[in-house]
Amino acid sequence: MSGGRRKRHLDFELNLIPFIDLLSTCICFLLMTAVWTQVGTVDAKQAVGGQAVAETEKKPTVWVSLADKGGLNLEIRDSGASKKYGKVKIDGLDGRPDWAKFETVMKDARTTDPQLTTALIQPVAGSLYEEIIDLMDKFRGVGVVSLGVSPL
Amino acid sequence: MLAESTLKGRAVTSVLGSLSVLNPDGHRGKKQVVSDLLLTALIDAFSILVIFLLMSFSSTGEILFLPKGTELPKAVNTAVIERFPVVKVDEGLLYLEDRRIEGRDLTAGLLELRKQWQETHPNEEYPGTLTVQADRRVKYEVLNQIVVAASQAGFADMKFAAVTKQ
Repeated sequence: MSGGRRKRHLDFELNLIPFIDLLSTCICFLLMTAVWTQVGTVDAKQAVGGQAVAETEKKPTVWVSLADKGGLNLEIRDSGASKKYGKVKIDGLDGRPDWAKFETVMKDARTTDPQLTTALIQPVAGSLYEEIIDLMDKFRGVGVVSLGVSPL
Repeated sequence: MLAESTLKGRAVTSVLGSLSVLNPDGHRGKKQVVSDLLLTALIDAFSILVIFLLMSFSSTGEILFLPKGTELPKAVNTAVIERFPVVKVDEGLLYLEDRRIEGRDLTAGLLELRKQWQETHPNEEYPGTLTVQADRRVKYEVLNQIVVAASQAGFADMKFAAVTKQ
């Protein structure tokens, strides 16, 4: 119609090119800086020789010595759980520690004495780094967070 | 065609005649050469990639360099890695901050690091923390050298490197 107002188009197209450029740049940057293996740390303190005997406050502590064939010897000292779990020997399963039994014992000991948050690990010369880390990891899993490793 | 056939007097012809869009004058329709790309699917894929990569993005960067053949042990309850002096065991040999060192010189090396830190940070307390990096199959008799040396040099806190299990 002559003289009539032209209708405006209500739908319009977004310009997607800058958006694609931005996404491509982001992908390139993130691919280059991506860390595929998440490395963390399992923290420990020096178990022996850090402080003088007189200064050392007696805390409920679990002493664990790693034995051959995945065996673990636990000794709970200065704790309410000492009577029940004075000394516990956990035999290995197929050369690996019996983690299920270990966790059961530690969870029960922690229920008896919630103050039991310290553990000292005594490896032997043949103990593998992996076994020590596994043990520390299991301790942290049951709430024993203050860990120490003693030298040979 | 119709004009010559036996249906000549009976067939009704359209006013559009040969202008029919479907079959203009019996000719085959030309294919359109230029076609629009479907960008929505592409943007969807890009967005998913960006989200996935952002989730695996680590602001701490690579603090530890893992040599070929070194496999760190795995642990669930790990702490975020921080920058501290690194003692590495690679093929039975010890390295302090990527510098080859003998076991008997490790204490001296750690003390030297401590001295350097105290010179650059005069009014601060030394953290006394050490990061230990070793293959998962390394025996404790090798690691014991590090534990003893760290104890002698006053590094009370030790951080054992491990791969975080999800």
